[in-house]
Amino acid sequence: MQQLNRLDLYREMVRIRQYESRILQEYHADKKPAWDIGAGLIPGEMHLSAGQEPAAVGVCAHLKQGDAITAPHRPHHFALAHGVDMKAMTAEIYGRTTGLCQGKGGHMHLFDPENHFSCSGIIAQGYPVACGQAMAMKRKGTDNVAVAVAGEGAANQGAFHESLNLAAVWNLPVVFVIEDNDWAISVPRSHSTATASNADRAAGYGMPGVRVEENDVEAIFEAAGAAIDRARAGEGPSLLEIHTLRLWGHFEGDAQAYRGAELDTVDERDPIPRYAAKLVELGELTEDQTESIAAEAAAEVDAAIAFAVDSPIPAPEDALLHVFA
Amino acid sequence: MCRAPSPSERNEGRVKRGSSVGIIANPASARDIRRLVAHGAAVTTNDKITILRRVLAGLASTDVTHVLSMTDLAGISAGLWALADKPSAACWPKLEFVDQVVEQTAADTVAATEAMVAAGVGAIVVLGGDGTNRIVASVCDDIPLVSISTGTNNAFARRIEPTVAGIAAGLVATGRVDVGAVVSRAKVLTVESGSRSERALVDVAVIDGDVVGAGAVWDPATISQLFLCFAEPDAIGLSSIGGQVCPTDRFDPAGLVVDIGRPAVRTLRAPIAPGLVVGVDVASVSTLAPGQAVVVRASSGVVALDGERLFRFGRHDRPIVTLGSDGPLELDVRETLAQAARTGVMSVPGRRCA
Repeated sequence: MQQLNRLDLYREMVRIRQYESRILQEYHADKKPAWDIGAGLIPGEMHLSAGQEPAAVGVCAHLKQGDAITAPHRPHHFALAHGVDMKAMTAEIYGRTTGLCQGKGGHMHLFDPENHFSCSGIIAQGYPVACGQAMAMKRKGTDNVAVAVAGEGAANQGAFHESLNLAAVWNLPVVFVIEDNDWAISVPRSHSTATASNADRAAGYGMPGVRVEENDVEAIFEAAGAAIDRARAGEGPSLLEIHTLRLWGHFEGDAQAYRGAELDTVDERDPIPRYAAKLVELGELTEDQTESIAAEAAAEVDAAIAFAVDSPIPAPEDALLHVFA
Repeated sequence: MCRAPSPSERNEGRVKRGSSVGIIANPASARDIRRLVAHGAAVTTNDKITILRRVLAGLASTDVTHVLSMTDLAGISAGLWALADKPSAACWPKLEFVDQVVEQTAADTVAATEAMVAAGVGAIVVLGGDGTNRIVASVCDDIPLVSISTGTNNAFARRIEPTVAGIAAGLVATGRVDVGAVVSRAKVLTVESGSRSERALVDVAVIDGDVVGAGAVWDPATISQLFLCFAEPDAIGLSSIGGQVCPTDRFDPAGLVVDIGRPAVRTLRAPIAPGLVVGVDVASVSTLAPGQAVVVRASSGVVALDGERLFRFGRHDRPIVTLGSDGPLELDVRETLAQAARTGVMSVPGRRCA
């Protein structure tokens, strides 16, 4: 298993949070009228991952060149943690020609073939894709793995079950990650899911299922490392459910009235200040370092946003390029 | 060394009796990393509900009138509640749920157990592994525990059919058997570190490094010292190490201290988790006498209680481990049913399911 490097984990979580915080700002900055999601510099819906950084960072710390991730509609944390270029990703979110998909995909459709990263707005759609990638890895005889990420609501889609079944039948090197943030848009798990933990569902497909209850990057790091090592060694698929936290709305502009009192305590449960405090207590992080890590991340994010804003908007006729029909 | 105590020796605590039984079912048990690094079984929420249906069927055959269940948000109490008005549950005792704030942590088990103590239940049925029993035992006072294994490592809980466990719990709670003869006082290890005080029912392990991580212990190379309440030769978990070098019965007053590492006096293969049999270097073994306070050897590290890494320590809060004889009261299901057979209690038709 990879060696635990606390400072690296912390730095990556801060980098992601800086990114999401700035996108949040930029998204709302010029959205007029505020209810028109098509307006402004960043058009379309926006699903930010603040609070879920430990899941992405704990998992991706074990990935190497050639490993694949299929992420869901809330993809930024996994994209950044997996090494997708921040500038190209930001340009895509802004709909610019320098973006990963030349501005045609937007924030839910970030495709980076070089890093084997993709995501989709279609719920659970990444699960079968990861099986395909894992099958290719297996046939090529590499020790690469595919990681499929979805939310707990997605585990009620047929694609989830078909993928677990297929991966088990073919003994594929895939790790199925469920980010359980308690809310499938506005639906709590108890209203949609017949079992309390999707780790239980793994048993039905003959694979190990593990639930990490704490949104703690070190607990996630260990569990993900075990699942990924297992897949690399040819021991087959496994399912890792991570109980994480959606710090903000399902989408930007979501009033979250459905969350009730639970919403009052989200800030106390923010995993990043908690981890910083732990590292300070362990003597592995100083106040100065905290500031310099934040400043470094902010500078990188500023540069990525400046790159996106300065990049050209696609011409109307480009709409007819790179399409099947 | 392995002499079983007489019934009078076992009955040292005052047993509370009543017509109600508590149920603690840990929704998080059997889902940790040991399904990946070892081959721990899955015990799903639905499995746990089925186990509780069997417990309730057993309880229903006795004079237990009320069952007080822990409340969780993971589907166990909701599942029981949904079943309670079905025809198949018509013979159940009245099922109530602890009115508690659910935090989805071990604090829920503590709060539920405390509520059961306050309500005066006559026995508590515990579904979980050694970790769950440890938490219940920390606050259950003198209420007998009937532990059913639904965890990963189950050295404390014995394998038992839930229906039979329910019958035994009911007979004890309602005083239909001589309770003093069927319960025994478990040993307990107390760990004091700075202002922290924790208790373990089976083992305390001192782990190298400073990572609590995913909790479970599975790498023998990281273990430097083990303190064991008891060490059965057929145990699963860390106590199996002691079980192979110096088997120590759960009724023996003494425990064990095992130093791990080299130079080794003996290297052995031990099943420290389900499906995980590893080589362990045993540097020394000594008896841990009751009341004897032992400072751990390492100047820093992590303490694992009943197989679960829990907290870090340094030279300023180096833990002190003491073996006590004031653990929870364990109910011997086999002995309870044997007594019932002798006295003919079960030959009387059950109150509801005659």
